[in-house]
Amino acid sequence: MGNVEFEKIKRPENIKLPYMLDFYPLEDEKNTRISQFFKSLREGRLTTTKCKECGNLLWPPRIVCSGCLSDKLEWVDLGVEGELYAFTEMKAGPPLGFAQDVPFCIGMVKIGSLLISARIDDARYENLKIGERVKLKIVELEDGRVFYRFRRIN
Amino acid sequence: MRKVAIVGGGATKCGKREATWRELVQEAGKAMFDNVDNISPKDVEALLVGAAQPERFTFQVHVAPMVAEHLGITPTKVIATTELMCASGQAAIRYAWACVASGIADVAVALGVEKMYMPNMAEAQTNMTCVLDREWDGVNAMSAPPFFAMTAQRHMYEFGTTKEQMALVSVKNHHYSTMNPIAQFQKEVTVEKVLQSLMIAPPLSLFDCSGITDGAAGVFIVPAEDAKKYTDTPMYIVGSGQANIGNAINNLASISEWVPLKLAVKEALRTAKISVNDIDIAELHDCFTISEIMEYEAFGWCEKGKGGEFIEDGEPYIGGKVAVNPRGGLLGCGHPLGATAILQSIDILHQFRGEVPRGRYVKDAETAVTHNLSGAANVHSLLVYSRG
Repeated sequence: MGNVEFEKIKRPENIKLPYMLDFYPLEDEKNTRISQFFKSLREGRLTTTKCKECGNLLWPPRIVCSGCLSDKLEWVDLGVEGELYAFTEMKAGPPLGFAQDVPFCIGMVKIGSLLISARIDDARYENLKIGERVKLKIVELEDGRVFYRFRRIN
Repeated sequence: MRKVAIVGGGATKCGKREATWRELVQEAGKAMFDNVDNISPKDVEALLVGAAQPERFTFQVHVAPMVAEHLGITPTKVIATTELMCASGQAAIRYAWACVASGIADVAVALGVEKMYMPNMAEAQTNMTCVLDREWDGVNAMSAPPFFAMTAQRHMYEFGTTKEQMALVSVKNHHYSTMNPIAQFQKEVTVEKVLQSLMIAPPLSLFDCSGITDGAAGVFIVPAEDAKKYTDTPMYIVGSGQANIGNAINNLASISEWVPLKLAVKEALRTAKISVNDIDIAELHDCFTISEIMEYEAFGWCEKGKGGEFIEDGEPYIGGKVAVNPRGGLLGCGHPLGATAILQSIDILHQFRGEVPRGRYVKDAETAVTHNLSGAANVHSLLVYSRG
């Protein structure tokens, strides 16, 4: 039993968030075929794909129509305003990377025929109302990626 | 197709367990084999392991062979893990049932397991946030509580359901779980206590939500013609329904009405050749209080929008229109994802055998259903069990 060696070993203290536990999608053309969506976001435009064959408006954006399986899709603008369909507030139990924002509001925003889930900024649960108008907002991550949120208009 | 029976099973105590994933499997596996005298591990031809996220919660994939190894099972016909998030355990039962019904296997095991407590619980919450479409819904921190909170908000807005009515579901299920020795939660709650509990995602408070839970459970599935070789009191799988519409929030049939559940109920009743009024016990997926209210409506025990009144009137209690969750439900027993459906089925077996405490015993029950929803309630899975 005498000469058993004990050694302290080191592991890296930090690991890079993308891709394994990162909620935000990889958005450049090397990683996805819908990189145009994120390019448009960068210009302040919320867009999605529409099928040229059957006319289906598809959300989330995609490369094949789930209505008729055509791959002939085009990008269309959705405008920058929507109506709050439902909302709540994350008060406890956030996932990794969200704790610094708690509490924050999450909602479902109706834009035409679409129901888009999103963070609702500049808001507390008590002050929001179903049916309220909300406006598009773009957030940029520290690595340059972008994503959409909405905020109260008033 | 051959008629199929469940002839026995075993489970762990559920809750925050000081045990690893593989230890939960060993506990449940031993309990399962101890429960049936003449099935040994070497007799098991098909093994289906219900596990929702072993790769996240325990950093391990290819888990079915790990279960087989630890229990001495050497499957010769079918082995696989089944993942359908909160319905992963029911997926295991369904595939084991299909293996036996089709004649592929004569002895199948469906074993479900989840180890959800982690040293850093934010990691567990992260795992629960890649269930909905991660890049478009999860990215907004849309885990289960916010999604079901909005479901509850719409139900309150459209139908006038109240937080007090939702709390009554928690009161009922916690009441029954006080009489279930393997349940995670063993204390009664009151409407006031539910309403005053920590706000998680309004309108849902802590006691509106099922727990984070460690647990495992397994059952044996055999052809009905062989069932009496293993037990005098088998139960039979006599019907099934499962339906899915959409996945991302935009593509759900509805937020405030679970259309795929209505379809699954219709199919389950059709295949079992029964009406909804023939159901004596319903183990329903009460992941949140609002879920059970919407399930009363989708089954058709009450009108759409009247689920809150249904529980106010005491109808889902034993002795009411239908006994809903006399096991204690997910709210009372906890929700170890992959194990939940197996735990439900074992409790139905115990009900049929009269092996549950008097206070939660449904006397003379002949027909029962177990139900699981998964994801954004876009998938609903149902099995119908019969005593005879």
